[in-house]
Amino acid sequence: MINIICEISKYIVLIFMVLYTFKCFSIMASKDEDEREKKLRAQVVYIFLIHFFCYLILYLRLQEIKILIFYGIQFTIMIFYRMVYHAVYKDASKLLTNNMIFLMMIGYIILTRLEFGLAIKQFLFATVGLLITAFFPVIMLKWKKLKDMGVVYGIIGIFLLLSVFIPGIGYEMYGSRNWIQIGGFSMQPMEFVKILFVFFVASMLVKVDTFKDLLINAIISAAFMGILVIEKDLGAAVIFYITYVFMVYLATSRISFLIGGLSLGVGGVTLGYLLFKNTLFQHVLVRVEAWKNPFAYIDTGGYQVSQSLFALGTGGYTGSGLTQGKAHTIPVSESDFVFSAICEEMGVIFGLALILVFVSIFISYVNVAMKCRIPFYKYLAFGFGCIFIIQSLLNIGGVTKFIPSTGVTLPLVSYGVTSVLSTLIIFAVVQGVFVITNKEAMKNEKEKERLGLQPASSTK
Amino acid sequence: MRKKKKDLDYNQQAQQNEYLAKEKAKIKKNKQKNKPIILITYIMVAVFIWLIGYIIYFMEFKAESIIANSRNIRHDNFADVVERGDIITSDGVVIATSNTDADGVTTRSYPYGNMFAHVVGYDSYGKAGLELQGNFYMLRSNINIFEKLYKELMEEKNRGDNLITTIDYALQEAAYNALGGCDGAVIAIEPDTGKIRVMVSKPDYDPNNIDDVWSYLQSDEGADSSILLNRATQGMYAPGSTFKVVSLLEYIRENPDDYEDYTYECVGESIFDSVRIHCSNQKVHGYENIDECLANSCNCAFADMGTTFDYDSYKATAEDLLFNSELPYQGDYSGSVFDIDGDSRKDELPQTVIGQGNTEITPLHNAMIMCAIANDGVLMQPYLMEEIENDDGGSVKKFPEKKYGQLITEDEAEILTEYLKGVCEYGTASGYMSGLSYEVAGKTGTAEYDDEGHTNSWFVGFSNPDDPDLVICVIVEDYSSNGVSATYVARQIFDVLYQ
Repeated sequence: MINIICEISKYIVLIFMVLYTFKCFSIMASKDEDEREKKLRAQVVYIFLIHFFCYLILYLRLQEIKILIFYGIQFTIMIFYRMVYHAVYKDASKLLTNNMIFLMMIGYIILTRLEFGLAIKQFLFATVGLLITAFFPVIMLKWKKLKDMGVVYGIIGIFLLLSVFIPGIGYEMYGSRNWIQIGGFSMQPMEFVKILFVFFVASMLVKVDTFKDLLINAIISAAFMGILVIEKDLGAAVIFYITYVFMVYLATSRISFLIGGLSLGVGGVTLGYLLFKNTLFQHVLVRVEAWKNPFAYIDTGGYQVSQSLFALGTGGYTGSGLTQGKAHTIPVSESDFVFSAICEEMGVIFGLALILVFVSIFISYVNVAMKCRIPFYKYLAFGFGCIFIIQSLLNIGGVTKFIPSTGVTLPLVSYGVTSVLSTLIIFAVVQGVFVITNKEAMKNEKEKERLGLQPASSTK
Repeated sequence: MRKKKKDLDYNQQAQQNEYLAKEKAKIKKNKQKNKPIILITYIMVAVFIWLIGYIIYFMEFKAESIIANSRNIRHDNFADVVERGDIITSDGVVIATSNTDADGVTTRSYPYGNMFAHVVGYDSYGKAGLELQGNFYMLRSNINIFEKLYKELMEEKNRGDNLITTIDYALQEAAYNALGGCDGAVIAIEPDTGKIRVMVSKPDYDPNNIDDVWSYLQSDEGADSSILLNRATQGMYAPGSTFKVVSLLEYIRENPDDYEDYTYECVGESIFDSVRIHCSNQKVHGYENIDECLANSCNCAFADMGTTFDYDSYKATAEDLLFNSELPYQGDYSGSVFDIDGDSRKDELPQTVIGQGNTEITPLHNAMIMCAIANDGVLMQPYLMEEIENDDGGSVKKFPEKKYGQLITEDEAEILTEYLKGVCEYGTASGYMSGLSYEVAGKTGTAEYDDEGHTNSWFVGFSNPDDPDLVICVIVEDYSSNGVSATYVARQIFDVLYQ
């Protein structure tokens, strides 16, 4: 009997996942305010149905009461958060909030399945993160000096990046020296530096007038990436580099910067690889080889990707059902390889829909950037959109053998305290830009009204 | 009064116009500014559509073969809900089957015991043979949906899909019996499809008693035993005279215009590059044309040809025939070795030309070379899994025959076939292979494997050279003691094929 309930629940989850994804795009297309509101509410219902049925399966399969309690707490906090947040910020984007909650919920579900303790830890830190980041929009509204502090962002950012080389607190993990530990807390400084980096680039680009300015900016940015390369955190270096090129292209509107920047990147990577593949970039060589044919290196470098592909293929389009696969045998399935775990047990259809949700989040970030007319905030929203989508691409592409794996997390879904906090900050900053843009638009409306161009009564 | 109002209106009009113009300019500027964002968005969306397309492509065309990989531990999950399917020969004989008792415990049994031991393998201790290769397919159930639901409700195991192998029961039985108590191996392949019809290796074991076999191998007396070794694919032997086919091909390649004019006066033994070569059984072949050199398997004639060989070219020819390279074969196999190259000493050559020296080959590989000769130079990949059927006999998946490539030219294949026919008509194989209702082309071999004159016996060849039906390769170990010739074994199999 349990079998049948779980099987049926699995298909219900898939159906609501597809519906949710569909709504992500149809909301962006609908112009009518009422219709939007209706769709946004439907989305919330879908999220909680998916959440409910997944936890139902988990409870029936594992038969542990703590799962039910955990479910109840998550449910309450999320409902409460969404209500209060939008009561306070009337101008905030509900679509962004929905998607943020959605990704967090998916993360909790798969972590509960993989390792209950990690799920609890992730939940605690994420909830604290939600509380802190809730103040971001109001801070951004009040504090206008944010855009003038480029130098400060740069200095703090570089210092944080260098902190991993301080003996005693910095240490190496999975072949990259990108962790520090202070008083029992481990974190990846890079996760916060990527936020400072976008702030830094945005603030510098606002003031760029001459080619010389641009050059200075480029040199400092190159320092960021140089340190990341020395840390052997190549995934992060790629994210930083592409985001930088895209932002410069936005600020200058010159396509030659885009083409030149990307070609330089490809050329630099190729050259560096050819020159140093047997010394500095030995670990890259291993990953590239493992990417080309993971099964030939199944006992060494190709193990993770082989397991990941086995998981995807064996799970199939509809998945084995939560707890019914062997998702926990994929190395680091709770973090970098969480996408494979999701595909194996919840289905490749679920995974594909999840990819589309990530794309829709990127598009909604970009929409915020396009609406915003204040350059600094425009660059911020766009830069964060780039960070978010490139990281998602590196992660999902890496675990599906689309590209060599680079060891980055899947935003909000993967386990990782720093990763979750930094993604929450990104969401909060974009939300802040959205609020600021709306305030500006409101001012404009008032001006129009004052000039008698548009009577206040004309709306509805 | 009226004028003032008008002024005011006029004033407001001006302000409105100014505002609208400003607003218009701002909107235009913003639109201009947004162009890069739109382009980047399109690029990223395109990349993600590509990623999604790639994943769907992976699921549709790649996943099946990848997850069948025996290293995928997920297979064992299926065993909880599926009763492993049968293995059935191409002529419909069940050679491995499952029985589940009332407690849901499944046991595997092999009705013909030792006869299919190496090709079928075993289902425990890490698995081997077809049990390993076809593991994934036999643990999946494609019976109709209603039966599946019913069984799931009753919490019974579903019947897994059956694996139809290319092995032919009648031919396998003939090979198994003909080899008798001798150690050795037989492999038979259809040259135009690559289907493996026979695979026998001795010594063997009874897969029904794999537990005993395993504990024997763990014991002191069994530690050196090679009964689990599939000699057909993994046994490395000196090719002996069967290698003269390769040497002859090399001679033809180096003398394309006048190879037919080659003659040799055999006096039983002679010295080539300071190496003494003699013909087997001290035979004196006398005056020979090139076809007789092969038919008589004249060591001296071949050693003589070898003195003219270009070493690099010889190596290239051997490697065209897949020496020193990977073989297109799915199961476990050993790779063959040919170690002559430009740096080799002259005195290494005479032995190599006649298949002694350091050259090593597996029966599988020897059969593959003969397959290419029989199939106009084209090698089809040898395979064992023909089809997957559900429990009701409906086809689930057919494994297609796959072309590996052109190893030698069509002309070369035709020339070699003519010479190989001679071996069976009036040469070393004529004792068993001439005057039959069917025609055979092939090569015998007697390979020394120690310094005391102990020899293995080889035969590799194919029947019906006009439209070849079956390539057979046989090795009988220690022929010098047991007297069972490989040609005799091959003849028994051909007789069953054409009876």
